Amino acid sequence: MNDEAGGKQRRARFQALCQSLRPDLLRFAFWLSRDRALAEDVVQESMLRAWKAQDSLLDEAAAKPWLLTIIRREYARTFERKRFSTVDVDELIAKEEPLLAAAEEQDIRDVRIAMMKLPDEYREPLVLQVLMGYSTAEIARELGLSSPAVLTRLYRARRQLRAACGEDTSQDPQE
Amino acid sequence: MMEHAHYRAAILADPHDSDAELRAHREACAECRAFTEQLLKFESRLERALRVDLPPRGDVLPFARKRANAAPTPRGWLAIAASVLLGAAIVGGVWLTLPQSSLAAAVVAHMAGEPEAWQRTSAVPTPELEQVLNDSKLRLKPDAGTVSYATTCSFRGHRVPHLVVQTASGPVTVMVLVHESVRRPTPFDTEGYRGTIVPVPGHGSIAVLMRDPGIDAGEIERIAARVDNSIVWLP
Repeated sequence: MNDEAGGKQRRARFQALCQSLRPDLLRFAFWLSRDRALAEDVVQESMLRAWKAQDSLLDEAAAKPWLLTIIRREYARTFERKRFSTVDVDELIAKEEPLLAAAEEQDIRDVRIAMMKLPDEYREPLVLQVLMGYSTAEIARELGLSSPAVLTRLYRARRQLRAACGEDTSQDPQE
Repeated sequence: MMEHAHYRAAILADPHDSDAELRAHREACAECRAFTEQLLKFESRLERALRVDLPPRGDVLPFARKRANAAPTPRGWLAIAASVLLGAAIVGGVWLTLPQSSLAAAVVAHMAGEPEAWQRTSAVPTPELEQVLNDSKLRLKPDAGTVSYATTCSFRGHRVPHLVVQTASGPVTVMVLVHESVRRPTPFDTEGYRGTIVPVPGHGSIAVLMRDPGIDAGEIERIAARVDNSIVWLP
């Protein structure tokens, strides 16, 4: 009886944790995949995996990075399973247009379109830094890169993004 | 002195880098200061752009599919109906009598989404802080204390400033909730957070909370009063 009550309590606690982290996890998965439906599938599967592996989460305060790692792996698995060929970015943008255009300001929509077009290797570290608040060292650890490599990617990501959004990049350093 | 190109490459990689050498260069070089301000404006746009609004479709939590596939027995249906009625009665009752408690729960739930906010201790660059405050048409008096985190967040359908202020009692999170009203100060103590939501006549309310469960409720009230006094509302 106590086991059952404890199980229910654990389940409720885990559900509450997922509920509170859900918006950011879904956003992360969306920017990873650029596809809302796929993002929802990836988050759903990741949460089930997380539930099964919850004993490996030693500190609840570290739940967010733990879940983000699971989401990245799940996304990679999905990608492998479905054997996607080349991604048509314009098609993705057209599909997600209502979501991208949801912002009241045109300039926000422009940034979102530019983000959709940013190559994966630049988009992912940028999302981890800006949206998830990761430090350079944390991004390096998560992506299996060196810190200088992460900094180079972040630098290039912002240069490309700003140029795509019509920002003045004449003062940027040349590579 | 550091070269402009080196400074700009570093700041493009991390606009919030608080490295002392970078800061010294910025203070000494007007051109690089202007470059940084321009970059921080773009950064604010980028942050808002990444926070896409993805309202729940009800199927993204664990166990959701399992529940959907399980066909309840007739007895199960009765139990579900009873639970729904009881749940509705409880939720309705709580909602009518204690609307502010759901607001406090939402504030605390929001904290879990941004744990990194508590970790920073150095001051947010002035242009970045001003951008966040300007977005909400407010300003802080100089004696408000060191603001170590400032961003505009999506909260219950509105864009609100989320700040962390360093005080003698430790870091304090402040959310300025122009669109949320409470009738009286609403203290809360839940999930390891202690805080209060205080009414601000004509400007909604302010939520102030700390992670220290041992902090005295009176001290929270005093901090909330200080925060309230340090905000200047712009027309």
